[in-house]
Amino acid sequence: MTKEELTEYIKDNFSGEPEVIENDQPEPYFIVKAEDVVAFSRFIHDDPKLQMTFMMSLSGVDTGERYEIVYNICSYRLKHRVFFKTILNHEKPEVDTVLDIWPAANWYEREVWELFGITIRNHPNLTRFLLPEDWDEGFPMCKGWVGKDVIPFPERK
Amino acid sequence: MGIIKKLPVYAEKIPGGGLVTTSLNSAFTLTQAKSLWYFLFGTACCAIELMATGASRYDFDRLGMIFRASPRQSDLLIVAGTITLKMAPVVKRLYEQMAEPRYVLAMGGCAIGGGPFYYDSYAVLKGIDKIIPVDVYVPGCPPRPEALLQGCLEVGKKIRTLKMDDWS
Repeated sequence: MTKEELTEYIKDNFSGEPEVIENDQPEPYFIVKAEDVVAFSRFIHDDPKLQMTFMMSLSGVDTGERYEIVYNICSYRLKHRVFFKTILNHEKPEVDTVLDIWPAANWYEREVWELFGITIRNHPNLTRFLLPEDWDEGFPMCKGWVGKDVIPFPERK
Repeated sequence: MGIIKKLPVYAEKIPGGGLVTTSLNSAFTLTQAKSLWYFLFGTACCAIELMATGASRYDFDRLGMIFRASPRQSDLLIVAGTITLKMAPVVKRLYEQMAEPRYVLAMGGCAIGGGPFYYDSYAVLKGIDKIIPVDVYVPGCPPRPEALLQGCLEVGKKIRTLKMDDWS
């Protein structure tokens, strides 16, 4: 399916009304509400015309005002991809795990939890694996984070 | 043959006999310096240069250097690559597992002082000399194999200057 067909198909068949982001990329790009992430993932994974069985990547973003989690999903069998993201507020960033839909999400979600502090609900093993085990300085990938041992880059004159 | 020819510098030959006398210190330091077994500790791109130096073109074997995969069999720890804060306790523990006398060579900018990760990095140790003593620093990013070879020769030179009393 082309980008336009994919966008129309997902919008017509998914009940949660995802918002479409217009861009020049060859893949459709949606914004999904945080409570719809699991339903949306289940839909694009199970639908026989989509068959998005492979998670390429899952990344966290901190824009300063809000958190985002970007999911890059593709289908090897039907050779198409879809990107979607969900927007979380800074006060209580929480999202449900998609681990039982794509097992590849396991370490990606642990990484997002560890470096951004976004709580992943129902994740079976939310433990540190990137930072030192005795780390207590917060979440280093967040905007404005300053660690006590970090040497800031000198200003260019 | 090189060592045999140079032996009279350190040892005295008895006229008419096949015996040589030398000090135990000289013999010990000579044998130690000419057979530095090194511990493989490559964590980043410097490890590629370390492999190139160990392979046939530059050939560590001609210095008597053989890589060991266990710290308990090695004399020299070549730290080749970036050491993150998570890796730092591992380096320290492996260094402590090596039998004395033991020597450390810091290879490349990351192991010397953080390298390109000095500024704005939350995860990288700013030089391994913060956790273990370093004998020889080989700068470069990564250093050429010639530079690493020279660094290893410098370790040998340092060993020749030591006294046996230093090997506590």
